Amino acid sequence: MRRWRLVSALLILIFLLGACAAPQGGEGAAAPAPAAPPADAGPSQLPVNVPRNEVFVADQIFRYSVIDNYNFWVPGPHTPHRHALMMETFWYRDQETGERLYGAAISDPIYNEDYTQMDVNLRDNIYWSDGVQFTADDVVYTVELLKSNPQLSAFGWSAGFNQFLDSIEKTGDFSVRFNLKESNPRFHTFFETRWNGMYIMPKHIFEKVEDPVTYTYSDPVVLGTYRVVQSDPNGFWELFERREDWQRTPAGIVVGKPGPKYVLTIFYGDSAKKAIAMSRGELDVFFDVDFEAFQTVLKTTPTARSWYKDFPWAYPNEIDVRHLAFNLESDPIYANKDVRWALALALDIVDLQTEYIGGVAKVTVMPVPPTAPLRAMYLDPLEEWLQNLEIEIEPGVMYKPYDPTVPERIAAWAEEQGYTVPGSPREVFGTGWWKYDPDAAERLLIKNGFSRGANGKWLKPDGTPWVLEIASPPDENDAFRMANAAADMWSDFGIDVKLLGLERSVWEQNNAVGQFQVSTPWFSFVLADGDSWPQVRGWHPRFYVPNGEDSRSTGGSNITRINDPKVGEFIDAMVSAPPGSPENTEITTEFLKYWTEQMYFITPISFKKFVTWDERYWTGFPTSENPKYMPLYWFQGGKFTFQSLEPVSR
Amino acid sequence: MTLLKTYIIPRILQWALVIFIGVTLTFLIPRLSPINPVEQAVSRLTAFQTLSPEATIALRESLEDLYGLKGSLFDQYIAFWKRVLSGDLGPSFSSFPMSVNAMIANGIWWSIGLLGTAVVLSWVLGIFLGTLAGYFPNRLWTRVMESIVIVVYPVPYFIIAFTLLMLFAYYLPIFPLVGGASGTPSFSLGYFGSILRHSFLPAISVIIGATAFRFLMAKALTTSERTSDYVTYAEIAALPKRKILGVFIIRNTMLPQVTDLALSLGAIFEGALITEIVFSYPGIGSTLYNGIISADYNLIMGITLLSIIGVATASLLVDLTYPLFDPRVRLR
Amino acid sequence: MVIFRDLLRFSPSFRIGVILLSLALIMAALSFVSPYAPDDRRAVPRNRPPSQEYLLGTTSTGQDVFWMLTFAVRNTLVIAGVAVVIGRGIGVLLGMTAGYLGGWFDRTVSTFVDSFIVIPRLPLVILLASILRGQLSMLGLAVLIGLLDWAYPSKRYRAQALSLREREFTHTGVFSGMSTFKIVTREHLPFLIPFLLADVVSGFLFAIGFEVTLSVLGLTDLTAQTIGTMLYWGNYYQALLSNRTWMLIPPVVATIVVVVGFYLISIGLSVYLDPRTRLARLRVKG
Repeated sequence: MRRWRLVSALLILIFLLGACAAPQGGEGAAAPAPAAPPADAGPSQLPVNVPRNEVFVADQIFRYSVIDNYNFWVPGPHTPHRHALMMETFWYRDQETGERLYGAAISDPIYNEDYTQMDVNLRDNIYWSDGVQFTADDVVYTVELLKSNPQLSAFGWSAGFNQFLDSIEKTGDFSVRFNLKESNPRFHTFFETRWNGMYIMPKHIFEKVEDPVTYTYSDPVVLGTYRVVQSDPNGFWELFERREDWQRTPAGIVVGKPGPKYVLTIFYGDSAKKAIAMSRGELDVFFDVDFEAFQTVLKTTPTARSWYKDFPWAYPNEIDVRHLAFNLESDPIYANKDVRWALALALDIVDLQTEYIGGVAKVTVMPVPPTAPLRAMYLDPLEEWLQNLEIEIEPGVMYKPYDPTVPERIAAWAEEQGYTVPGSPREVFGTGWWKYDPDAAERLLIKNGFSRGANGKWLKPDGTPWVLEIASPPDENDAFRMANAAADMWSDFGIDVKLLGLERSVWEQNNAVGQFQVSTPWFSFVLADGDSWPQVRGWHPRFYVPNGEDSRSTGGSNITRINDPKVGEFIDAMVSAPPGSPENTEITTEFLKYWTEQMYFITPISFKKFVTWDERYWTGFPTSENPKYMPLYWFQGGKFTFQSLEPVSR
Repeated sequence: MTLLKTYIIPRILQWALVIFIGVTLTFLIPRLSPINPVEQAVSRLTAFQTLSPEATIALRESLEDLYGLKGSLFDQYIAFWKRVLSGDLGPSFSSFPMSVNAMIANGIWWSIGLLGTAVVLSWVLGIFLGTLAGYFPNRLWTRVMESIVIVVYPVPYFIIAFTLLMLFAYYLPIFPLVGGASGTPSFSLGYFGSILRHSFLPAISVIIGATAFRFLMAKALTTSERTSDYVTYAEIAALPKRKILGVFIIRNTMLPQVTDLALSLGAIFEGALITEIVFSYPGIGSTLYNGIISADYNLIMGITLLSIIGVATASLLVDLTYPLFDPRVRLR
Repeated sequence: MVIFRDLLRFSPSFRIGVILLSLALIMAALSFVSPYAPDDRRAVPRNRPPSQEYLLGTTSTGQDVFWMLTFAVRNTLVIAGVAVVIGRGIGVLLGMTAGYLGGWFDRTVSTFVDSFIVIPRLPLVILLASILRGQLSMLGLAVLIGLLDWAYPSKRYRAQALSLREREFTHTGVFSGMSTFKIVTREHLPFLIPFLLADVVSGFLFAIGFEVTLSVLGLTDLTAQTIGTMLYWGNYYQALLSNRTWMLIPPVVATIVVVVGFYLISIGLSVYLDPRTRLARLRVKG
């Protein structure tokens, strides 16, 4: 009896203790406390055994499921930040500065007069990581292999070369010529990054490979500054080591600094876990978290900061924009421009931007992100047109919907919260937007036969209640919060709104087959250099697919079922206008005007990302005070960001 | 001999039938999903960029080709069984060009290691404590224990897991945040130590709930046994209580417990989805989840096949060993 | 009524159980007088800690946690209740009949049950939920959970029936000419009731747990108020990380209250129903 009691008591005790005690085995040195651990505190709880002050720990964005495969030319293996560290292409377009940085090329693309030939001069001072020099042969080999093998289909390079490229020839050891099938002023974009450009293969490795499609390219020979040296068989992390001859790589040459000896990428999990990891000193940068987790990071990690030192913190200049897009064929009412305008006027943009987004993303009135270069190119010149824009809200009654004071009102809100606005309101908070005018919205609807029912809720012209469905994926934070704002505001306006938070894959599927009324896609109409055609050509009526059928079947992305010949005319006119030319800008501007008048999308905000750096171990990150490169380290052009890092000296 | 004919053989036939029906159902159900695996892959591959319409179509064709998603449903079904019988589960769509075999091999040992240990530990612990609590219902310590268990038992698993994570990885940063071990696999003390350290929190989170469940079940079973005639006789005969408990009661309450243990062990092959997500622990639960939401038929089939065989076999073994545990179950 | 009074008087666990469940029911009933509609966001200021004005604080979406909880308790009780009735109904019926009848019936049912058991449930329900996205109402969810949770119980009931069937008192009963029905109701039920009750409690918990798991994964109707969606939204706005636990504690406590309430009542009832402990109790009383 007694013994029984004793044994059980002991067991319970062990059980309870077990929950509290930590087995400090192996290299379990004391973990850094959230406050201020010493910088040289040996190996921490990181999964690799390298000195903490020699390794830069970056957020891996997602967990790799394709393991030990670096053949990025077949669809599948993951590329973010790996391509920044290891792969090279000709040019990198920096999204922050709009500038072109030279990778494997040393000249701009040199076209002949009718854009049927492109010459490129290459660097003669860069080497593969096994010591072999990079030459024009590598480029010719890669282009010809991709062109001849459609199964190397990643990123559409193979298809693109087959469509546009007649042949490639070597004009010298360090120069190549592309002979095109037809005139194409954008051919160089295959080799210039927004996200990435054609990765150049080492000819001396690949020519010995039997089947380049099934080849896994483990232990890759690279042209970039870093080599992968260790990786987690479960895909949570990967360790890169700087090449000893880093001065013989493009990023090394361009930046002129060595960068960290090691780069470790880790996927910790959701926002909360990234915040925890940073507070523990086990993460030096993350690409984004939600607003609440970011606020926690600021509190727990005094050395952490984002683009701005203080409010509004986040990096606002990624070239992308969010929309409330309509399915024009889900219900005939959405095909009516006035209904779309009414919904826009029923949104309070200041409330949306402050209460829902936290004041940290830029407002934009068009599908163009208000970054400094693009504002100068499109939004500033269009400001006057916007202020004079009129719509007819009642037969014969014209109305000016644009409110240029939005940035100032947001700035006033920020000051009320005790924040300092780092710059002019227009610089920090973006453009003006549509007035919040439920009254005008009401008149627009009444003009089109809508009416209010007994309970004050809107009835459609056919007398049935107006039930509006918004679909949005909760994992895309700003999109979902924007959808929440729209749902709340349209409910207040008297519409019966249903908000569907959908799993990403389901949401995409529903978008594609048209099972939605309003959705929250993201999509910029222009690239960093101001060119629009590659982005908008999917809206050409040629790619239109009726509702109910899969909009992807023609290769386009027209989920909203816009079938407008006028849009087609603009897109056709863009084809032959070289990017960067005044002609190109002019057509794009006219297109944006037309699009805005039609209110095909309601475009409230552009992208922001809480790219957050912890300055405990490393310094030299791009910030608003030091905007030399974009902080988007996971893009292929992020290599310059890694390369600029310097250890904190203590 | 008759035992073999009348019981064992039919039971084995039933086992085969169960697996066949289960697998056929899981072959069909995912294909009801509106999500198209090829489109999923296309959108994943183009998530960071805009692809021209021509390139999109080319990519799609190349993927259909690579995935082998051609032919009618029946053709695919036949091809599926052919593949299964030859031991090759085909390529994963969501993680192309990884093979499903390789993906399962990467995750399965983590699931078995973590859940196997947690399930067995909590089973033993739960039965032990629960039986005691059922046999001595009026002692202070059993009451305290029971109170703790019934309050802990209903707490949603996600909350337990996340709270443990916050406590022992954030406020008290003593456990690692991610993965199943440090470094790459090796036969060193440090590596095995790191496995223990990484699995501790996830294991505890599973053990808490499972022990509470087992405790309550054991207690309920014991309570109804305690007042049986034979126990009363045994007590009158002044048999030591330890013997009554250990020999009679535990033995009589074992049958449903063993059934349950076998089934829980079989279910290990499903992995532990929430555990893996909260603790960023490797395993096949999250692999399967990703397979489901991206309509990765081959991956879904591969893992559920494993799970189906696991559970069916566990259940077969239990049935075949029933007579050992409860000799009264005579075979008719 | 007399039984109920007796139970209240003599079984402390029943007494506490009734109090807890009544609490839950009062909460659920209060939802009918809530000053806010269940999906009315931005009705109150966001992120306020508990105060006199907002008893349990407010959420990040601008809802009053207390009133939200009343809807959540009501809806969760309905979901779990429906699921338990469906699941245990099928389970008891199939398991017991198979166990008692044996033979080919047992074999057919067992094959059927086993085929169902082997299909992993969480993946199955995730798959179904993602197929039915947007169309899965709360009640639909309840039915879905119920239809998933009958196979395991039915196997357990069959094992119980098998075991009971072979006990001495069964044979004694059979020899003395009692009908099967009588044997089952007179002799076996007292053994089965505690088991059944414990099983119902675990069924309740399974349903709530499943609802929570699906919600945490974001697979249920997130605009409905349930324990699961309250946790989902609390977690979505990082309540634990940013120390706003008042959004998470109430739904967790509510779950505990409901389940513990059922559990204690089941204990009280099973002790009461057990003829032998009843004798013991009478002796004490006398």
